[in-house]
Amino acid sequence: MPNILTEPFERAWHHRELIRAVVRRELTSRFRDSFLGWIWAIFAPLAMLLVYTTIFTIATPAVASGVPIYDYAAASFCGLILFNVFAELAARSPTLLHEHVHFIKKSIFPAETIAWTSTIRAIVYGAISFATLLAVRLFTVHYVSWTVIFVPFIILPFMLLMLGTVWFLMALGAFTRDVAHLMVSIVPLLMFATPVFFQVEQLPAGLQPWIKLNLVGDYIAMLRDLVIYERFPSPWMYLGCFVASYAVFLFGYRFFKEYKSVIVDVL
Amino acid sequence: MSSESAISCRNAGKAFQLYLHRNDQLMQALFGWAKTFYKKHWVLKDITFEIKKGECVGIIGRNGAGKTTLLQILCGITKPTTGSVDIDGRIAPILALGSGFDGALTGRENAIIGGAILGLKRKEIVAKLDQIADFAEIGMFFDQPMKLYSSGMVARLAFAICAHVDADILIVDEALSVGDEAFAQKCENFIAEFAKRGTILVVSHGLDYLRTLCDRVIWIDAGVVREVGDPDVIIPAYKAAVRKDDEDEANAVIGGGQAA
Repeated sequence: MPNILTEPFERAWHHRELIRAVVRRELTSRFRDSFLGWIWAIFAPLAMLLVYTTIFTIATPAVASGVPIYDYAAASFCGLILFNVFAELAARSPTLLHEHVHFIKKSIFPAETIAWTSTIRAIVYGAISFATLLAVRLFTVHYVSWTVIFVPFIILPFMLLMLGTVWFLMALGAFTRDVAHLMVSIVPLLMFATPVFFQVEQLPAGLQPWIKLNLVGDYIAMLRDLVIYERFPSPWMYLGCFVASYAVFLFGYRFFKEYKSVIVDVL
Repeated sequence: MSSESAISCRNAGKAFQLYLHRNDQLMQALFGWAKTFYKKHWVLKDITFEIKKGECVGIIGRNGAGKTTLLQILCGITKPTTGSVDIDGRIAPILALGSGFDGALTGRENAIIGGAILGLKRKEIVAKLDQIADFAEIGMFFDQPMKLYSSGMVARLAFAICAHVDADILIVDEALSVGDEAFAQKCENFIAEFAKRGTILVVSHGLDYLRTLCDRVIWIDAGVVREVGDPDVIIPAYKAAVRKDDEDEANAVIGGGQAA
């Protein structure tokens, strides 16, 4: 009987060669047919960051008053990076099994690895955006906080949160296409419930605890602490997010596993 | 399960869940603990057999008898509703050839992923790529995107991958009907060669082929094992039964016209 806490990792380790091969494929094939190739992966976040910075400089939003504008742009961009990883995965997960139906029904493809490969892929693109952000920081404020070396400790539990979410939505999406439509509709709305362009502290006190329930927002706040404010997030907050993300991770895995055998028959 | 047996299937049964409404599937997933939203349709019932290591076994049966579902259970693609299945060794399933390929990738890249699905390390599969390309006989197309392949080339590459993963158990489902004569011959030769060292389970409607290849055949009829034994005994009996069914059907059409 595999340990319930580590079983998802053991399975992933067992299929590491497959996960690696698929991630490699997804990363190399995305820009294959384009002339500029990987430059596109850097161009998109760079353009976005520059446009945001410019617009915030011209028309400073009220939430940014009293904050250096470069910091505000960087803080918003930190928020966008994590939110985009979440948005991409949440919108795509419900259709993932439908996309891989030939693999699943016709060969001995371990379907749970799809969550790993899509999450790793999304994180890699997030990392490219993040590297762009650091480069732009060097250029604008000539300084990068030394605390960025701790960013992987934020990303690790964030990844667990994403994996759990993907497993759950993947399984649910296999049963009905409604989940896919639902996610496409609500993900953009979730952006307003996530402190992307503002800080939780700027909200009315009564609303703050509710917004803090949004784990993606908490990760954004912690990422900003490390990247922009050069300070460590509260250890309690980190611990709470870690435990909650791990719980989501395990729940998502159990849910997926529970319905896996049924899913093959309903697809 | 003795150490001698490669596949052992005990009282395995499979029921598909038939839903009246598509969304009942979701209701079942969410509220299945309280209420059942489907009707069970048994495709396989109480299948018990054992295949020893090194044995070559054929499965025969009419369309819809449950052969493909049985293979899917043995490969671990779908779980049996009842009973259990034990497999000892690495399986290479040659089910629907080439269905798991990505058209945007080259044959080489697909071979690497195909090998990884079957449990090979990247190093192992890379070492075998030349052999795979040789076996598939697709020449320079090996480094072209697979969307440019003909269906025969896809099938050849898929077979070549399965043939080179050093499996212990080969599970073949009608794969040989694709490809031209020469390649079908090559596949048959490979399977015959494999039969000398490994375990083979093959589903085919080519009864004469099964008769020459297999040590035993399992006859599946309407989801149950009807007979197991020597191909020289079972296959003529199966042929006779099929002929009789066809005649009955023909008579019914001529007689009352009810079947039409």
